[in-house]
Amino acid sequence: MASQSRRTPLERVEYVLIVSTLLLLVVFTVQPLLNLLALSFSDPSKVAGFSGLSIIPDGFSPDVWALLLQHPNVQRGIFNSIWMTATSVVIGVLGTALMAWGLSRPGLPGRRVIFILVLVTIVFEPGIIPDYFLMKRMGLLNTPWSVIMYKAISAWYLIILVRFFEEIPRELLEAAELDGANPFQTFFLVVLPLAKSALATIALFYLVLHWNEFFRAMIYLNDQSKWPLQVVLRQFVIEGDKIAIVGANNANNNIGIAQINIRALKAGMILITILPILAIYPLILKFFTKGTMSGALKG
Amino acid sequence: MVAGDGQKIAAVTSDGNVPAVGERVRSSGNIPLSSTTSLGAKVRQWWPYYAMMAPGLLFFFIWHYVPIWEAKMAFEQVRIIPPNIWVGLKNFQQLFSSPIFYQVLANTLIISGMKILFVFPVPIIVALLLNEIRSGKLRGFVQSAIYLPHFLSWVVIAGVFIALLSPTDGAVNQIQNAFGFPSVNYMTNTGTIRWVLVISEIWRSAGWDSLLYLAAIFAIDPQLYEAAEMDGANRWQKIWHVTIPGIVPTIATLFILNMGMFLSADLNQVINMQNDVNASTIDILDTYVYRLGLSTGEYALATAAGLFKAVIGMILVVSSHLVSKRLTGKGLW
Repeated sequence: MASQSRRTPLERVEYVLIVSTLLLLVVFTVQPLLNLLALSFSDPSKVAGFSGLSIIPDGFSPDVWALLLQHPNVQRGIFNSIWMTATSVVIGVLGTALMAWGLSRPGLPGRRVIFILVLVTIVFEPGIIPDYFLMKRMGLLNTPWSVIMYKAISAWYLIILVRFFEEIPRELLEAAELDGANPFQTFFLVVLPLAKSALATIALFYLVLHWNEFFRAMIYLNDQSKWPLQVVLRQFVIEGDKIAIVGANNANNNIGIAQINIRALKAGMILITILPILAIYPLILKFFTKGTMSGALKG
Repeated sequence: MVAGDGQKIAAVTSDGNVPAVGERVRSSGNIPLSSTTSLGAKVRQWWPYYAMMAPGLLFFFIWHYVPIWEAKMAFEQVRIIPPNIWVGLKNFQQLFSSPIFYQVLANTLIISGMKILFVFPVPIIVALLLNEIRSGKLRGFVQSAIYLPHFLSWVVIAGVFIALLSPTDGAVNQIQNAFGFPSVNYMTNTGTIRWVLVISEIWRSAGWDSLLYLAAIFAIDPQLYEAAEMDGANRWQKIWHVTIPGIVPTIATLFILNMGMFLSADLNQVINMQNDVNASTIDILDTYVYRLGLSTGEYALATAAGLFKAVIGMILVVSSHLVSKRLTGKGLW
């Protein structure tokens, strides 16, 4: 790259333009979220006229967050989302790793056939209605397991992990075998520790996937008490079902939570839903970025 | 765009020596395996691996193969009291004679086309711009900001856009009003809602998808840039003659993969952006199947529509994979 002194004025103008374009993109990306954050922390009496452009709270009040976090529907949503996501991640990582290990062994009889069968599932998806009837037939409708088990193992993450396992040096595995380790011991004591970073990446992939899942939960779970947070959010913000959060009695008498501006409540609800993603965002950046940049999840 | 993380990463990083289908099994792995091994010896040798794979195999069988069997419903008349009656292609005839089906198909193609045209190039441009940033700190800041929306659900993104585009206090309309333009209700305007899909897709994926191109740019041999500089190339000449040719394979791969997803147009996005007013403009195949099957209970017809999409989609994906493999050496897997 040219050094600072050799740059012409034109090049400097170009650079400023490039940086400005990217900063504009940053504003376009972040401003809508900051606006909702500011809205949710504004003084409830000032929310009505709160500008969509502002990113600074008008007054300060934790009321919206406090009311939402104490709300039984929201609490249940958070609880359901956390345990369902955690279960899915554990099942997903274990199932994917075990299967990927077998598939990564070059001599495995039937390896090619199994690969083809897995790839078929990627290119051919018979659709949501057959899935729905399968759930019904298995008696899983309206149980959280319908959501947890569906897509518990992703063909894509399986392929990524197979590639990773194939790169493990043969010498390490042979050394373990010479020490008398059986294939199970080799996998759990040698392979898994080696794959820590790849497994963490896969776990994060699953975590984001399942935390954000709403469609299957929406169609499989009738019972509102089983809904994850995304479906609770959808009912309130997308379907505009105000009563679901405010409550009919409160709304009719304009008491309690009904006195809070609905815009602020919606903003708060959106932010509560993305809070876990924000909390692990540094990890996501580290592992997702590295996973993509280095290609095969090495290192 | 509509593709998942694993899919894109797997696609862009596949380099031909992955355990792909059709590839000959390489020399044996950690355990030597001779061709004369008897079946019994094979079983003794490999059963632990099959035992470990069993949960996964069972999973794929139940959740991906049984539904294919269930899809036979597309050829049946569904009765409340089983068994269903086999009716052959009657459901498909009904589907193909329904004007709504063609409307929905057209919507799907239009929305996918708009996304290819207007969403697809954005991450390439973002990556090219990011690559020009010399300060690592500034680049890191921009990157961590613009990657974020990729990790949010469509429920959240739709909620954000409904607020952003609100005719009364949304940022977009406030800027418009400041310049003297009247407010537009973008979410319920049939002329603008497809653009909302395009812009919200850019908001969600332009940043993150640029990473795939950035990775390709970083893999370009620095000597090429040095040589270009020796020849007196300026910034744009270097971009045009070194950077872009260097990422053409990645662009081609991702473009072809997106073409393979043409019939998808993203159910999760549309279902959260849809409302009573705009429904007919952005009703796509997937939302049609969902509504037909799970709201109105036309199970057989909905399954037929889903199967139509699945078969055409499969042809598109497989051919795009083959084309990509042929042209760039990289495919879906």
